[in-house]
Amino acid sequence: MTQHRCASPAQPGDTDARAPAIELLGLSKSFPGGRAPALDGIDLVVPRGGIFGILGPNGAGKTTLMSILGGLILPSAGSVRIAGHDVLTESRHIRHILGLVPQEPAIYPTLTARENLDFFGRMQGLSGAYLDSRVQACLELAEMTGEADQRVEQFSGGYKRRLNMVIGLMHEPEILILDEPTVAIDPHSRALIHHRLRELNAAGITILISTHYMEEAELLCSDVAIIDHGRLIVQGSVPELLARRRDEAIELQFFSEPDGALAQALQAIPGVRQVELAGCRMRISSDRPELAIAPIMQRVQADGPTLRSLVYGRASLEQVFLSLTGDRGELR
Amino acid sequence: MKGNLAKLRASIVKDARILLRDRQALILFFTMPVLFVLILSLSLRDVFGDRPGATFPVLVVAQDRQEVGQGIIDTFRNNPHVRLSLDEDASEAEARQWLIDGQYRFVVLVPAGATEQAKRRLGEVMADVPVELRLERPVEVRVLADPSLRSDYRKVLEGSLDLALHGIEMKLGREQLEQTLRVTQGTHFSGLPDFDQARLFLPVHGETVTKGVGGPTPTSVQQNAPAWTLLAMFFLTVPLSVSFIKEREQGSLFRLQTMTVPPWVVLGGKAVPYFVINQIQMISVLAVSVYVLPLLGGDPLGLGNAPLALVLMGASASLAAIGFGIAVAVFARTTEQAAGFSSATVMIMGALGGILVPKAVMLPIMQDLAVISPLSWGLDGFLDIFVRGGGLADVLPEALALLAFSAFCHAIAIARYRRRG
Ligand SMILES: Nc1ncnc2c1ncn2[C@@H]1O[C@H](COP(=O)(O)OP(=O)(O)O)[C@@H](O)[C@H]1O
Ligand SMILES: [Mg+2]
Repeated sequence: MTQHRCASPAQPGDTDARAPAIELLGLSKSFPGGRAPALDGIDLVVPRGGIFGILGPNGAGKTTLMSILGGLILPSAGSVRIAGHDVLTESRHIRHILGLVPQEPAIYPTLTARENLDFFGRMQGLSGAYLDSRVQACLELAEMTGEADQRVEQFSGGYKRRLNMVIGLMHEPEILILDEPTVAIDPHSRALIHHRLRELNAAGITILISTHYMEEAELLCSDVAIIDHGRLIVQGSVPELLARRRDEAIELQFFSEPDGALAQALQAIPGVRQVELAGCRMRISSDRPELAIAPIMQRVQADGPTLRSLVYGRASLEQVFLSLTGDRGELR
Repeated sequence: MKGNLAKLRASIVKDARILLRDRQALILFFTMPVLFVLILSLSLRDVFGDRPGATFPVLVVAQDRQEVGQGIIDTFRNNPHVRLSLDEDASEAEARQWLIDGQYRFVVLVPAGATEQAKRRLGEVMADVPVELRLERPVEVRVLADPSLRSDYRKVLEGSLDLALHGIEMKLGREQLEQTLRVTQGTHFSGLPDFDQARLFLPVHGETVTKGVGGPTPTSVQQNAPAWTLLAMFFLTVPLSVSFIKEREQGSLFRLQTMTVPPWVVLGGKAVPYFVINQIQMISVLAVSVYVLPLLGGDPLGLGNAPLALVLMGASASLAAIGFGIAVAVFARTTEQAAGFSSATVMIMGALGGILVPKAVMLPIMQDLAVISPLSWGLDGFLDIFVRGGGLADVLPEALALLAFSAFCHAIAIARYRRRG
């Protein structure tokens, strides 16, 4: 992807290259009538240059956070700075820097893809040959040059989301914020969006993406922040977070239910901390799984039912999330 | 500012495209008012006030062609509101059928020998035959009328028939008197004086007394053309507010907010295409009223002689309607809410404002209440032009009221739009 900006050249002072992409300080939001605050004292710094994931289940507050970043709703407390500019008082400076892709496709169904891009491009202040070239580039990014002149209402969900995303790219923002861009989408469109996000990131664009798919965050993000019930639970690089769980568990699955005696025998193996049994599944916590794995396998092959699968050393963000939210004991 | 104007233009293009692609709505916008005007102007033609050119088809079946038959024929022939047809020997049944078929609206049946009968009756009266011994009964001239003929028009026709019969009575009586006097007084009698020269009373001419501007009441088309134009204009608040809320529901409005597009660009993008549609609605209704309605037998609409006043009224009524639609859109939560509220409100404002029922036939208290409806301001303005021959200065109060209403609506809409949750 070529990066040339000419319609809205960055004014000196428009963007402070030293400032982090996004800084949230004590950010809270309560909706009138809402029982618990949707966001509760979030402190977060999103550095430049990475793909940063905001991870959390439905209702965690991701969209609320994104909407505050886009200046759509006002925070109840705290401050929000984007590229060093306050969202509330300096929104004019932020407009050129920031691209926001809302969760639900914000497009006009009776206009064509090209007309949608053209309109939103003009609303960003683009014009002339630059506008035309951006429309073309964005159609190519979304792989819909063949469908450019079809009405959007005829598009599948995946096409709509692809168009929705590239509209946020029309003005070549430095910081791109996407709210769950891959919900309810076909695998090809999801892969394409991931691919494009990596390309954009490689070209120097900071990306903040929210998702409730833990695997997506693992796959795509360099750093993540996990939020739940409006609170920031943990923040760090993906390898760092996964490392926390790396040594913890060996998960076994059998073709038939093992008996309690096997569990007790395994418990006696040195290095095994705890054995949890749930139907055909068994979860073994260990301080030294690399040492415990061989005697465990011997025991299982001697006394246990036929083994169906063994997972070891592949901690997931899902486990991290579950362990941090105290939602333990539930093997999945 | 220049940048924002470019955005406004793009907004207008976008909303015009969206509107033009909604074929069904477009057809409705333009056919609704035109059809209403055609249908109602034609069917309610006679319910409205004076129609200087109005004429009724009247049939006189005169089986008598002497003084009585001829006198009646002459009376109706000289009445400018009557298109007279004559028949000598149609039966009553035939006449009834013609009436039902709508061929005639008023039929006068003069029985055969009416003049002879009247003269015999007169002879008995002159001879002082006591009432109970008189052989001849008074002549009965019968009348059949179409029920849709306005009752006051019918009274007028019956009245002029009565007047004609009175005249015939006078004439026959005088002739009889003259004959008797000539016989009794012989050569001393030099004839009766000319009664036509001896009228005791001047002919009656009524003077219309009204409060305010007053003047003539509107004809059917003068009332209906502006009334349905206004109602159609205000009905566009339904699609206007719905399109606005759709934009909110689709999220495109939020997207525009993140791009810090000023509210007047968003509002203007919608207002301009709807304004243009409103003007086309008005022009098409007026064109149909002027050119098509007469071809179908209706009275043509006279547009008055103040085209600028007409333009001003059309523009300010449209701006008032658009302002109302935008205010509804900003306050309603769902498209259903907006559509329901705006259509109900427009109907109520229309009923109050003398759109559905002319103000002239309302109770005085309702006429006073009409002042609260912006549609009534619009209608008054148009009637100033069409009925009272008013000009720019005459419609200025109504136009300013509509513009103030529009400004008020836009102001509260923008204030609400700016308030972020
Ligand atoms: N406009 C609103 N009014 C009231 N409550 C809201 C509103 N928007 C979101 N919420 C509430 O705030 C919480 C967070 O919602 P949201 O940010 O949409 O979550 P997510 O995007 O992570 O699924 C939820 O409990 C939701 O019900
Ligand atoms: Mg969400």
